[in-house]
Amino acid sequence: MRSLIAAELLKLRSTRSAWIPLAVALAAAILAVVASATAAGHGGNPPLSPAALPDLFRASGGQLVDGAVLLAWIVLSAGEFRHRTSVTTFLGQPRRLRVVSAKLAAAALTGIAAGLLAEALSAATSTAVLSAHHLPLDWNQPGVPAAVITVPLLAALYGILGVGLGLLLRNTAAALGLALMWAFVIEGILPVLIHAPGVVRWLPEATANAVLHGASATATTLPAAAALAVLAGYAVVLATGGAIVTTRREIGTTTG
Amino acid sequence: MSTIAVEALTKRYGTITAVDDLTFGLAPGRITGFLGPNGAGKSTTIRVLLGLARPTCGRATINGRPYAELRDPLRHVGALLDPNVFHPGRPGRTALRIAARPARIPGQRVEEVLDLTGLASAAHRRVGGYSLGMRQRLALAAALLGDPQILILDEPASGLDPEGVAWLRGLLRRLADQGRTVFVSSHQLAELAQTADDVVIINQGRLIAAGPMAGLLERSQASSLEDFFLGATSPDAQSTHAAFIRPRSLS
Repeated sequence: MRSLIAAELLKLRSTRSAWIPLAVALAAAILAVVASATAAGHGGNPPLSPAALPDLFRASGGQLVDGAVLLAWIVLSAGEFRHRTSVTTFLGQPRRLRVVSAKLAAAALTGIAAGLLAEALSAATSTAVLSAHHLPLDWNQPGVPAAVITVPLLAALYGILGVGLGLLLRNTAAALGLALMWAFVIEGILPVLIHAPGVVRWLPEATANAVLHGASATATTLPAAAALAVLAGYAVVLATGGAIVTTRREIGTTTG
Repeated sequence: MSTIAVEALTKRYGTITAVDDLTFGLAPGRITGFLGPNGAGKSTTIRVLLGLARPTCGRATINGRPYAELRDPLRHVGALLDPNVFHPGRPGRTALRIAARPARIPGQRVEEVLDLTGLASAAHRRVGGYSLGMRQRLALAAALLGDPQILILDEPASGLDPEGVAWLRGLLRRLADQGRTVFVSSHQLAELAQTADDVVIINQGRLIAAGPMAGLLERSQASSLEDFFLGATSPDAQSTHAAFIRPRSLS
C-alpha cells in the first residue's frame, strides 16, 4: 500500500494543474493574515488584538486550502480517465480497491500536509504582524489549538471528497464544474428551491463552516462535532460511490 | 513456464458478442501474432486477459491465474495497449517512475528501459511533446519495466519509422529467444510474417486458425500470411479454412 500511496503522491507532484491550486492557497494563507490585520480597526472591523489570533489562523487555512485540495484531487482522480492513465494504473495494480484506497489515503495526507503548512505560514505571518503592532502572542488561548486541528482535518476530508467525486464522474470538467457550482450556486439556492431553509446547515459548505468557526449564536449551523460527522458522512458516501464505480466499470482504450 | 491460456472465452456488450467461445494457448519462447480484421475482438480479448474487462463467461489466465490475482503483475506481464496512456504534462521519466512504483521497481530499471527504447535523451521532456513513435517507445518501455516473462503488445509497431520497426523486430526476437512469451496483435501482416513464429487468427470474435505459421501456410497452400489471412477472414472462408483450425494445446 505504501508504494501505491507513493505513486499517487508522485502523480500529484508531477501534475501542475493539481499542485498549482495548492501553492496558490498556501500563498493566499499569508495574504489572508496580512489582509485581516490591515482591515482591523477600519470599516467597522474590531481593532487588532491578541484575541484575533484564532481568527487569523482560520482565515488563512480555512476554505481556501479545502477548495484547493478538493480541486487537486478531482483533477488527479478524474484525470486518470481523461488521459487514460487509468490503464497504466490498473495494469500496475489490478486490485482496484487498493488503488482507490491509496488515492483516498494520499488525498487525506495531502489535506493534512497542506492544512498544517497553511497553519505554519499563518503562524509565522501572524507572529510578524502582531509583533509589528507590539501585541503579545498567546498561543494557548481558546480557539488556537482548535483551529490548528480543524484546518488540516477539514482539508483531509475535502481531499477524500475530491477523490470520490472524480472517480464517480470520471470527467474532469464535469466534476470541477459540479464542485464549483455546488460551492457558489447550488448550496445557496437549494434551500430556497425546496422551501426548506433549515436544510442549509446539513449541506457540505455549511458543515465545513460550522466545524471551522463553531456553531453560530443564532443556531443556523450544526454544532461543530455534529457538523464534522455530517461532513465525514458526505466523504464516506462519495468515496464509497467512487470505489464501487471504479471496481465495476471496465477500463477502456482508444482501440476498444 | 510462463504461459497464456484463453479458454472458452466469451465477452458480450449488450446484444453484441465481441468474443465468442474463444480458446487458444501460447507457449514460451515464441512470438505469436494475433490477427483479425477491425472489430474482430482482438483488443477485447487482450483487455480481458489483462483484467481491464470482465469475461461474460470462460477464462483468460496467465500462468494459470487471472491477471488480477497475480502478485506484482508487472514482474510477470508487460503490456502495451495504447501509446496514449501517459499524462501529457509529465516528463517521460516521471511517467515511468509512476508506473514502476506499485511494483517497487527501482529507478535504475527505469533508466535501463529508457536506454533500451532509445528515449534516454528525451526522458526529461513532457510526453505531450512526444511524437507518436516516441509515445509508442515509452509504452514499450513501461511494458518492459518489470523484466516480465510475458509480453502482450497491441499494435506495437504503430507510429514507428522503418528503423524503429526493424529495431522492434530484433527486440522481440531477442526477448522470445530468452524464453519469453511474446503475443503481438497487429494489422501489419508483412511485418508479422517476418516476426511471428505462430499465429492466432480471429474473426467476429471466433477463432479462425491457430498454430505455427509455417504449418498453416503449408496446409492452406497460401503464398503468404496476407493471402492466408484474407482467405481465412473472407465472408465464405469459415468452411474453406475449417481444416486449418488447430488450436494449440493449452499449456
